[in-house]
Amino acid sequence: MAGLLSRERTVARPGYNRWLVPPAALAIHLSIGVAYGFSVFWLPLSRAIGITEPVPCHADMGFFEQLITGACDWKISELGWMYTLFFVFLGSSAAVFGPWVERVGPRKTGVVAAVCWSSGFLISALGIHLHQIWLLWLGSGVIGGCGLGLGYISPVSTLIKWFPDRRGMATGMAIMGFGGGAMIGAPLADILMRHFATPTSVGVWQTFVTMGVIYFITMMAGAFGYRVPPPDWKPAGWTPRAKQTSMITAGNVHVSRAWRTPQFWFLWMVLCMNVSAGIGVIGIASPMIQEIFGGRLLGATGTLQQLTPEQKVQLASIGAGFAALLSLSNIAGRIGWASFSDYIGRTRTYLVFFALGFVLYAMAPSAGQTGSVTLFVVLFCVILTMYGGGFATIPAYLADIFGTQYVGAIHGRLLTAWSTAGVLGPVLVNYIREYQIDRGVPTAQAYNVTMYVLAGLLIIGLICNLMVKPVDPRYCMTAEELAAARALQAGQRA
Amino acid sequence: MATNDASGKDADSSWVLVVLAWLPVTLPLLWGIWQTVKKAAVLFR
Repeated sequence: MAGLLSRERTVARPGYNRWLVPPAALAIHLSIGVAYGFSVFWLPLSRAIGITEPVPCHADMGFFEQLITGACDWKISELGWMYTLFFVFLGSSAAVFGPWVERVGPRKTGVVAAVCWSSGFLISALGIHLHQIWLLWLGSGVIGGCGLGLGYISPVSTLIKWFPDRRGMATGMAIMGFGGGAMIGAPLADILMRHFATPTSVGVWQTFVTMGVIYFITMMAGAFGYRVPPPDWKPAGWTPRAKQTSMITAGNVHVSRAWRTPQFWFLWMVLCMNVSAGIGVIGIASPMIQEIFGGRLLGATGTLQQLTPEQKVQLASIGAGFAALLSLSNIAGRIGWASFSDYIGRTRTYLVFFALGFVLYAMAPSAGQTGSVTLFVVLFCVILTMYGGGFATIPAYLADIFGTQYVGAIHGRLLTAWSTAGVLGPVLVNYIREYQIDRGVPTAQAYNVTMYVLAGLLIIGLICNLMVKPVDPRYCMTAEELAAARALQAGQRA
Repeated sequence: MATNDASGKDADSSWVLVVLAWLPVTLPLLWGIWQTVKKAAVLFR
């Protein structure tokens, strides 16, 4: 079995069509991308015991007792920890195991990711069946989170090597899959839960088992579909530019040296600022549009608090529609901006993200005050394309700056910026909003300062992006080091 | 060393394979996008 998974078994034969690799990457990313849609489970899980209504725990029940009790239901805030664990373990596993991923290749990594991700579902199913929330945190959050990290970085290096002429587009296709995973997974979970629900069960553990099996098969198919190009392969008819542009290196920087360069940390900040701003908006999209426009969304007058319960239900549905539109913008931006970066260059692409993003975030409060729902929706759709584009363009940016040899591992380390942003963005947005409301600012205007702060984050990102210069050649690997690294990858003694 | 040089029958069959490989990922993705579009359509009613 180990031989079947080894890197040398995945080297493509002459004549192999490189367009077979992106679907393999998509199979993995579409499977792990369901992590974004896990909130679909929160409400049914919060009444797993009560079935129709949540059974609250006694006020005097301690934290550890609540972890193991089968007598009362879980709170949504407790379940939400799974989401936090996902992104913490995604970033940390990608950072820690990145060099291993480069060494063993995409197939073994994909298989390990499939085992982690699907076993996370199965352990969580057991946790739901036994009503032990720590099993959900451990299963989906920790073990599944490691599967997320490994699965996310598994195709990056391979795709960049197959598509040296279209690095942005290639990684954009895979990373678009991560954005699209929730679009498939969330409605699928909804269908399955309704199918398995009975008068004595909310049907979630059965859904977890089914999805675990589906994702295991899909990810294994993806892992076995991976092929790596032979060393020094290039597409027929394509020749690298005789004169390299100053921002695309011809050398390679080892992962152990890359993170000691200022370029790595500037790019870390670029990703962190872009994601913090975008993730902050995603978290508040639905309540924000409802609170800012209130009854105007229904053609009525009055603020959100003045509406009838029926109108509030209608507004919630519009809020969910807005969040859905932002998801579509997010995945369109992933493939669109990443492909566009192949033509205008990575530095200019991020320059657009930060400069245009700054203008749009700064305009958002005015759009709210003018009452133009269309303008407001368009502003945020464009912002979300740039959020997705930031994720999808960063691997190509890293390959331009550090070379392709260790780009997967370097990308893995850079994903710690995502984990940081996953905490920073929502905390910043929520605290600023609460602070504003506590000081008596009307809820419709409580987002104004938030938008200006997020625009400020983009200015920091803009400055960091402008600071990214080509890496000092002393950090690049020598010809001997590169040969030794490739021999090690090929399973030979260096 | 250029190896993306499949020609004639081999090239044709490899493109058939490409279509077959893309279908299982494209169809669910399109279904997911359609579900999301339906949800987003509420905004425009």
